[in-house]
Amino acid sequence: MRYQITKSFRGKCLLALVAASTMLLVSSCNKKLDIESSSIVSEKNSWKSLEDARSGVMGMYALLRTAVANNNAYWHWGEFRSGLFTPLNSPDLSAVVNNELTANYSVIESASNWTKFYAAINACNVVIENIGKCRTDMRYTDDYYRLDVSQAKAIRAFAYFLMARVWGDVPMITTSGEGQNFPEVAQSKKEIVLNFAKTELLSVAEDLPYLYSGTDLENKFPATYYGFGAGTWLNAPITRIGAYAILSHIAAWEGNYDEVVVYSGVVINNIAKGGGSGGITAVTTGDMVSSTGLFLSGNGNYRQIVGFPFGKMTGETTTDGHIENYTLANTPDFPMSKRLPNLYIPRDSILKLFNEADDERFGTDFNVQPVVFRKSYFENFNGEIPVFKKIRVIDAGSTSTNGDFVVYNSSIIFTRLEEIRLLRAEAFAALNNLSAAAQLLNLVRAQRKLGGVFYSSREQLLQLIFLERDRELMGEGWHWFDLVRRTKLLNDNPQIASFISSGGIYWPISRAVLLKNKKLVQNNYWK
Amino acid sequence: MKFDFFLKKIGQYVVVLCCGVFASNYATAQTDDAKVIADTTATIDSSFLFFFNNKTKSNLASGKMFNLQNRMINADTNFINLIPKISIQQMVKGNLSGVYVRESSGEPGVDQNLFIQGINGPLMSKKDLFEQQAVVYLNGIPLMRDHPFAYEIQKNDYLRIGTNTNTLANFNINNIESIEVIKDPARLAALGPLAANGAIWVTSKNATSGKTSGSVNIYSGYAPAPRVSPTNSAYEFAFRKPYYDRYANVEDLINMPAYLKDSTNTDYYGPANWYKSYYKPTFTYGADAALTGGSSRANFRLFLSSVRDANAADKTGLERHNASFYINIAPMEWLNFSSMISYNRMDRDRNKNITDRLVEQRYLPDLANPLTPNNNLYNKYLREFDKAIDLNVNHSLQSYFNLSAKFKTLVFNSNLMLDYSDINRDVFWPKTLLEKNNFVSHYLGINQRVNFTNYLTNIFEIGHKQSLKITARQNYTNDMYRYKYAIGYNGPNDFVKVNLFHNNTSGQNYISYYFPNSLRTALMSLSGEAEYELSDLLRINAVVRRDGSSTKDVNNRWFTGYSAGFDYNAGKQFALDNMDLNLYGGYAKLGKINVDDRFSTNSIYSSYVGWQNEPTLGTFNGIPALARPYNYGWVNANMPWAYFEKINIGARWGLFNSKVQFGIDVYNRNDKNGTILVPTPAEWGYEGQYKSGLTVNNSGVDLSVYAKIIDNEMQKIQWSINGNLSYNNNKLKALPNGLDEIIISGTKLKVGERVDAYWVYKNEGKYNSDAEVPTNSSTGRKLTYNGVPFQSGDAKWADLNGDFDVNDEDRILIGNFMPKNYGGFGTDITYHRFSINAQFYFALKQSFLNQAAASRLDFVNGDFSKSLNSVKEITSWQKGEDLSAYPMYNPWSSVVPYQLSQDLFVQDVNYVKLRSLSLTYRVPKTVKNARLMQIYLTGNNLFTFSKFKGSDPELLNYQGVYDGKAVPLQKTVTLGVKIDF
Repeated sequence: MRYQITKSFRGKCLLALVAASTMLLVSSCNKKLDIESSSIVSEKNSWKSLEDARSGVMGMYALLRTAVANNNAYWHWGEFRSGLFTPLNSPDLSAVVNNELTANYSVIESASNWTKFYAAINACNVVIENIGKCRTDMRYTDDYYRLDVSQAKAIRAFAYFLMARVWGDVPMITTSGEGQNFPEVAQSKKEIVLNFAKTELLSVAEDLPYLYSGTDLENKFPATYYGFGAGTWLNAPITRIGAYAILSHIAAWEGNYDEVVVYSGVVINNIAKGGGSGGITAVTTGDMVSSTGLFLSGNGNYRQIVGFPFGKMTGETTTDGHIENYTLANTPDFPMSKRLPNLYIPRDSILKLFNEADDERFGTDFNVQPVVFRKSYFENFNGEIPVFKKIRVIDAGSTSTNGDFVVYNSSIIFTRLEEIRLLRAEAFAALNNLSAAAQLLNLVRAQRKLGGVFYSSREQLLQLIFLERDRELMGEGWHWFDLVRRTKLLNDNPQIASFISSGGIYWPISRAVLLKNKKLVQNNYWK
Repeated sequence: MKFDFFLKKIGQYVVVLCCGVFASNYATAQTDDAKVIADTTATIDSSFLFFFNNKTKSNLASGKMFNLQNRMINADTNFINLIPKISIQQMVKGNLSGVYVRESSGEPGVDQNLFIQGINGPLMSKKDLFEQQAVVYLNGIPLMRDHPFAYEIQKNDYLRIGTNTNTLANFNINNIESIEVIKDPARLAALGPLAANGAIWVTSKNATSGKTSGSVNIYSGYAPAPRVSPTNSAYEFAFRKPYYDRYANVEDLINMPAYLKDSTNTDYYGPANWYKSYYKPTFTYGADAALTGGSSRANFRLFLSSVRDANAADKTGLERHNASFYINIAPMEWLNFSSMISYNRMDRDRNKNITDRLVEQRYLPDLANPLTPNNNLYNKYLREFDKAIDLNVNHSLQSYFNLSAKFKTLVFNSNLMLDYSDINRDVFWPKTLLEKNNFVSHYLGINQRVNFTNYLTNIFEIGHKQSLKITARQNYTNDMYRYKYAIGYNGPNDFVKVNLFHNNTSGQNYISYYFPNSLRTALMSLSGEAEYELSDLLRINAVVRRDGSSTKDVNNRWFTGYSAGFDYNAGKQFALDNMDLNLYGGYAKLGKINVDDRFSTNSIYSSYVGWQNEPTLGTFNGIPALARPYNYGWVNANMPWAYFEKINIGARWGLFNSKVQFGIDVYNRNDKNGTILVPTPAEWGYEGQYKSGLTVNNSGVDLSVYAKIIDNEMQKIQWSINGNLSYNNNKLKALPNGLDEIIISGTKLKVGERVDAYWVYKNEGKYNSDAEVPTNSSTGRKLTYNGVPFQSGDAKWADLNGDFDVNDEDRILIGNFMPKNYGGFGTDITYHRFSINAQFYFALKQSFLNQAAASRLDFVNGDFSKSLNSVKEITSWQKGEDLSAYPMYNPWSSVVPYQLSQDLFVQDVNYVKLRSLSLTYRVPKTVKNARLMQIYLTGNNLFTFSKFKGSDPELLNYQGVYDGKAVPLQKTVTLGVKIDF
C-alpha cells in the first residue's frame, strides 16, 4: 500500500493539526486551572447555608474541646498540680505535681501553651462576624442566628474563664483579627477578663435554651435544632443551665459568693427542664463509676451539665484527652496490658480521705465476710499501687472488650449536679448560712450512702465541704482549683497561700507563646 | 489469591505480546518502503526539547564511555548495568555530579531521597522533603511520587500510610539508554516548573529498525546475613549500673524496668540469639529479555523483566514485574507516530519493626516490656505474623503517544503522556501483636498525571552557516492524587480479617474509621523558545514562558519565566589540536509550583479541629465541624509565585582526543518568594501565617573527570578512571517581612545561617557539684534551665546571653545535615576478555544528630514515656556505639541532661563506600547468533570507610537523625550472564 499525497494535502493536514491544538490551547487556559480543593472550603463558598452555620458552630465546640483535651492538659491544670495523685516513673508528671512548671517536658510545654484556647476563641469570633450571612438561606431563621451567636459568646466567655483560672491575666480578643494582620495584644487584668466572661454569659444566658430541641415554652428557639433531636444534642452545646453553672464558677473564683448563690440557684431550680424525663439528676455511685454510666459520652446522658463528649457512635473515640491514660492499669478485677498506672493515690491518702466506712465510693464493706474494701473508686487496693478506676470508659464500656484495647469514650465533665450542689454549699458556708450549706452537703453525702454531717463551726463545715469535693470530684479536674478557693476561705495551707499572694497559682506562659508576642509579660512568679 | 494475581499477570503479558505481534506484522507489511526516516525521528527526540543537548560533540563521540559529568550512557562496558540496582536513585548515586542520594534504609523498595545541588529551602517536614526532590522524567514523562497530603490525617510524619514503596523503583537498567542530570538553567527553563529542583532525564531503549535483535539478562545474587554482636539485659544493666550507683535513690532502684531488675529472668538475661531469626541469608534474582525489530517505517521493542531484591534483615524484599512495549510507525513520510506503554507491578515485603506498626495502628500500647533477645521467644513472636496480612502492591502504567509531523523545516509535535499508579496496602495484624487487639487496614491510593504537550518548531537558515530555530510550545499537566484509607480495630477474632464496616456497639465488628481524600492540581504552560546557531562555534538560546497553576489564587495565577544561555566551542574557534574546549553559561528565572492546593484561595476553612495526637477528629457530637486552619496556619491572600534565579557557568575540556575529559560547573541559585509559616501572636489562635519572602541561596561547584589512562588496542589493555566531586553550600538570605529569624517546628531559621543547621544548646561539660553552678550575684539565684536550677550531675550548657537562665535564647545553630561535599569515583580495567570495575561513593562534611546515643543515655525518660522513641526494636539487642565517651550526667535530673537538642549529639560524619566491585568475562563467540555474551560477578555495598561508630553512616533520616533502627544496607554478591543476539 502506498500513499499518494500531495503537498497541499500535507499542508492542510498540518494546518488542521495546528489549528486544533491552538484552539484547545487558547480556549480554556484559565478554566482548566480552576480546580476546587476537596480538603478545604474557600471563603467564597462559606457561610451560605444552614449547614455552613452548623459546621461553624460545631467548629467552636470542637476547638474548645481540643484546647482542654490536648495532651490531657485539663488534668494537669486541675487535678495533678499539688494533687492527691502520686506519679510513678514519670519525671514529667512529677514536675507537674511538684509545681516545677517550667521543666523541660513536652506535657508541660503543651499545658502552658494557650494557642488552642485562642483558636476556639477565634472560631467564636469568626462565627459571630460571619454567621449572619447564612440568613440568605431561608431555613436559617433569626431564631437560629440569635441562638448561634449566643452560643458563640457563651463559649468564648467560658474559654476566657478557663484561661483566666489557669494563667491569670490573658489578652482579651473579641475580633477575628482578619484584615488587621493579627497584631500583638497585651494581657488584660484577670479581673477584667473574668468580668467580661460574666457579663457576656449573663447577656446571652436567656437566649440559650434549657435543652436543645427540647420543649420551648418561650417560643424562641428552633424546634429541632439543625435537624437533630434533644437525644442527640444532650448537653453537648451550652444550655442555659450550663451557662449559669459556668457563671457560678466564675463568681466563686472571684470570691463573690453571694453571686454564686444566685447563679447556682438558677441551675438547681431548673434541673427538671434540663433534659430527659426526670431532667438532670444526681447519679448513684454505681452509675457514676459504671463504664456505661455518668462519664460515657452520649447515650441519653443528660447529667453532664457542661462537658466535652467523645462519643463512640459519633466517631469521636480517642486515646488522648482522658484521665484514664494516666490512672488505669491492670488489676485483678480488670485485666489490662498496662501493668502500672502513671499516677496513683497512695493507700494512706485513700484511707485518710475516705474515713467513713459506709462510703460507697471507697469504704469498708462489713456486710461481707471477710470484710472487703469497696471498689467503686479504687481497685487493687491491697496491692502496692492502687488503681484509680472511677473513670474507666474503655471503648464505650463495650462488654466484648476488657481493658486491652484502650481507647476511651469518657467525657470531660466540667460540672454536674453534685458538683454544683457542693459549690452552692460552699457559697452558703462562706456566707455563713451554715444550715443551708449543710443541707446541700448532706444531699450529696446521702447519694453516697453517708449520713448527715456534724459541724461546730463555719470552718469545720467548709473543711467538710472541700473534703467532699475531693472525694466526689476526684479525677474530674477540680482538686487544684478547690485548693485555691479553700485556701482563700480557710487560709490553712501556707504553701498555697504563698502561691496566691505571689501569683504562683497561675501557670507560666509557654516560651513559644511569649516569643510570638512581645507585649506579653510572663507571670510574675515564673519570671 | 496468589493464583489470581498470577493469572492477571499472564493476561497482561499476553496482551502486550499480541500488540507486539500485530506491530511486527504491520512492520513487515511496510518493509518495501525503503526510505529511512523512522530511525531519526521515530524516537522521542529530546533535541527538540532541549537546545543544549549533551549529545553534542566529543563527549558522546566515544559512545560507550562514561560521560563527562552529566550523563550516563548505558553501554556494554558500563559498570552500571552490572549492578542489580532497582531504583533510579540507586542508579545515579555517586555517578552523576551534583546529585546527592541518601538511602535512609536498606529495606528494598523503600523511598529514597534525591537532591540536585543541595536543598532550596528548609527541610522541616516530609512535606518540605517532597518539595525539594528532583523530578525524574522517563522518556519525557515527568513521574509522580506519593504526595505528602496523607500525613494530614496522621499523628506524625514518621511513615506515610500506604505501601511506602518507592515509585521510582520501577526502572530496569537493561532497558535504559541513558540517564542524565539536568541542572543547566536554560534547559530547566525549557522543562518548566515541574523541574524547578533539577531533573533526572531517563531515556529508555527504544524500538529501532533493522534485523530483529534481542537480549537476555539473568542474574542471581546472594545476600548474606551481617555479623552482629548480640546483647542481653546483662549488657544493658552493666551499661546503666554506674548511673544507678552514682545517682539513683531507692525509689529509682525499685522503679528499674522489670526486664533489667530481675537477673534470674532468662528471657532477658539468657542467650541473645534472636539474630538467627532476624538475619537470614537470602537471594536476589533478576531476569529480563528484550526483543527489537521491524522496518524503518514501523518497528517495535518489547521488554519484559522480573526482579527480586532482598535484604537478609527481617525478610524484607521487593518483587517487581515489568513489561514495556514501544512502537514507532511512520504511516507517511512526513508523519511519525511513536508510543510507549510500560507496566510495572511491585510487591514489597516490609519490615516488622514495632515502630512502623504502631505508627500505622495509631495506638501506643504499654511499652514497658520489650521483645526478648531469646530466639525461641522471638520466634514465637514471629509466628504470630503468620496470621498477619501485610500486602503492599503498586501497579503503575506509563505511556506516551507522540505524533510528529514534518514539513521541510517545520515540525509539529503532539505528545500525550500518562503516568498512572495505584497503590494498594492490605493489613491485618492479629490480637497477639497489640494488647489483644487486632487491626485491619486497607489503603488504596491513586496517582494520575495526564500531560499533553504540543509544539511547533521551525528552523530558519539565515545566511552562511547560521540558523535560527523558533519553537512555540504548550503544555498542560493535570495531576490527581487520591487515597481511600480505612482502618478497623478490635474485630471479633483473628479469623475475620476483613473489615465489614458496620459500626455497632455490640462488638461484633471492627471499630472502623474511614478517611478518603483527594487532591487535584493543574499546570498550564505556554512558551516560546529561540535558538541561534553559528556554524558549530556558538549557540545562543532564550526561552520565555508563562506558567499558570491551579494552586495559585486567581490574582496570582500566572508567572513569567525566562532564560538565556550560550555554548561556545573555543576548541574549534582556535583550532586547538587534540583538544576540545566548550564554554557555556546560562541564566534562568523560573516559577516554582505549590505542592498543595491550600494557597489557591486566600482565607479558607478546614475540618481539622483536633490536635496532634488526634488529627482525624473532624466532628463535634458527630456533626461535621469547620473552622479556620488554626493548626496549619493562616493563609494570606495574594501570595505571589515562588521562583528561582540560577546562573551557571561551565566548561567541558577534552584532551588527547577526549581520552582525558574534565568538566566544571559553577552555579549560584537564589530561591525567592518562598512560602513559609511565620509565627503570629498565638492569641489569634493560629500556629502562624503563611507568608512569602523566603530566600535561600545555593552555590557550588560540580567537578568531574574521566581519563582513559591506558588504551592499548594491541595488547588489549584498557584502564580508565572516572570521578565526580560536588561542593554545595546553602544560606538563608531573607525571611518574610524582613524578619531576621523565626522559630518554627522546634528549629530556628536565621538570616545568614544555613537552612539545614541544628538548633541546640552548647555543651560545656558537667557540673560535678552544686557549688560549681554559677550564681547570679545581683539576685543570688543559681543558674537555671528554663527556670529549673542546675544541680550536681547536670549538663553544663552555655548561658550565652548571660541572663542566668539557659533557654531557647542560648541555643546555637551548628552543623549541616546536607553534606557539603559528595560524589563518587571509580576505575575500570580491561584485559583481553576480562574487566574489573570498582565504584566508590562518598559524602563529606556533614553532621548528624545522634538520637540513638541520646535515647540510650536518656533511659530514664525513655523507659516510661509513652512515645515512639521509647520503642525498643529487636535490633536494639545488639552492640551499637560505645557510649563510655559521653559525660556521665544524672539521668534522673529534671533538666534532662541527655536531651537530644545539644551539640553533644551533633556529630560530624564522613564516609567513603565501596559500592560495587565487578568482574566481567566476555565469552568468545561460541553461542550461535549471539553478538555478545558476558558473565559477570559483582559485589555490592562491600566496604565503608568511616569513623562513624554506629551501624552505617548512611542510615540517617532526611534531617540527618540517626536512630539506629533502620534496616542496614545489604551486601550482595551477584552472578549474572548477559547475551545479546
